[in-house]
Amino acid sequence: MNLIVGMGAMQVSRDPGATIVTYALGSCIGIAIHDPIAKVGGLLHYMLPESSTNPEKASKNPAMFADTGVPLLFQEAYRLGGEKTRMRVRVVGGAQLLDDSGYFNIGKRNYMTLRKILWANNVLIQGEEVGGQVNRTVRLEIGSGRFWVKTSGNGEKEL
Amino acid sequence: MNLVDAILQSVTQLPPFPAVIQRVLELVENPKTSAHDVVEVIQYDQAVTANVLMVCNSAYFGLRKPVHSLTDALVRIGFNTLVEIILTRGTAFLFYQSCQGYQLQKGELWRHSVACAILSQILAERVRHKKSAVQFTATLLHDVGKIVLSGFVKDHFEQIHGLVQEKNLSFLEAERETLGIDHAELGGRIAEGWKFPRNIIAGIRYHHTPFLAEEFQDLVSLAYLCDVVALMTGIGGGADGLSYRGYKDIMEQYDLKEKDLEAVISELDTGMKKVEGMLNIQ
Repeated sequence: MNLIVGMGAMQVSRDPGATIVTYALGSCIGIAIHDPIAKVGGLLHYMLPESSTNPEKASKNPAMFADTGVPLLFQEAYRLGGEKTRMRVRVVGGAQLLDDSGYFNIGKRNYMTLRKILWANNVLIQGEEVGGQVNRTVRLEIGSGRFWVKTSGNGEKEL
Repeated sequence: MNLVDAILQSVTQLPPFPAVIQRVLELVENPKTSAHDVVEVIQYDQAVTANVLMVCNSAYFGLRKPVHSLTDALVRIGFNTLVEIILTRGTAFLFYQSCQGYQLQKGELWRHSVACAILSQILAERVRHKKSAVQFTATLLHDVGKIVLSGFVKDHFEQIHGLVQEKNLSFLEAERETLGIDHAELGGRIAEGWKFPRNIIAGIRYHHTPFLAEEFQDLVSLAYLCDVVALMTGIGGGADGLSYRGYKDIMEQYDLKEKDLEAVISELDTGMKKVEGMLNIQ
């Protein structure tokens, strides 16, 4: 069964038959977490780094922002039996326009904010594919923990 | 026949632009237009009228009593929203198709176009403190050239993709280098053929190169910004990805910072929900 994660949304599952998918990550980031023992996993597709940009939206939809979405993703996975020390973390997205000026670097800011949050919480990233000018689609298989990245024009590969 | 001629020739395979929607474009562009002029034009087109009423009665608007006529709709949802619905529904027949060259499945180019049009209203309010139906229209239609160019992009994809990856060209520059014309210029030619108002033609033609526009600079610049912001969000994002140029001059022209773009993006979902009903029709 495919669980689709929209933009600014997340899904967690412990159904071994489930695959969590999100489409067309541009500057947005997809962060997948998976506990191989509990067979619990989750995927967050956030759009922006900081909830201070729009606190009203953040209270309605914390998954829109890194600083409110990422903690929520981990909490939801713990609720299903996942444990922090076993969690494998993979990160995809954060693409950029062709731009040297720094006016359009939301992708980079999305990624840097995530690094900071994970660092502060002693969480390591096991695999990542970020930056560049491409859209990416990702899927996480809950049963196996396998994680796939598809890039327009370049096919799909496991991360 | 050379490639550019073949591309221009294939424009003739596009369906004709609906006369009613064409007339609405002209009305919208005229500042003297009243809301009733628009109702007058579309009320005799049953398909357009039925579509508009269906959208007005969708869950988003949450109207307690259903809308039964266009005049009724005008009173209840307002002129700007009515025009937005007419244009969005009225052009879906063009944008709803798949574009294989850009690896966009059916409906994705339309999603991108609608997201840009919604962004145009969020940005217009932010930088000009008012919404604009002309801006909405030009932004909605900016990628019309992709519909025709898609087949040619598909046939030459390796070459275009190679130029983007190896020579660091934008996708637009690689289209031009490979095919002799890019989707923005081609869109401008299509719009000319359909006899669109000049400002809308400019919005389409220069949406990636706003500094080349000799007039309608403001409209063109904002259309450009909406497109790059939508590309960043990934909505309806295809094989061209984010391979387009970010121009800081345009940001400075409006005194916008990256934080402002983030605020604009955070508002986008409300507008997308408004048209969600429309996105799933057809």
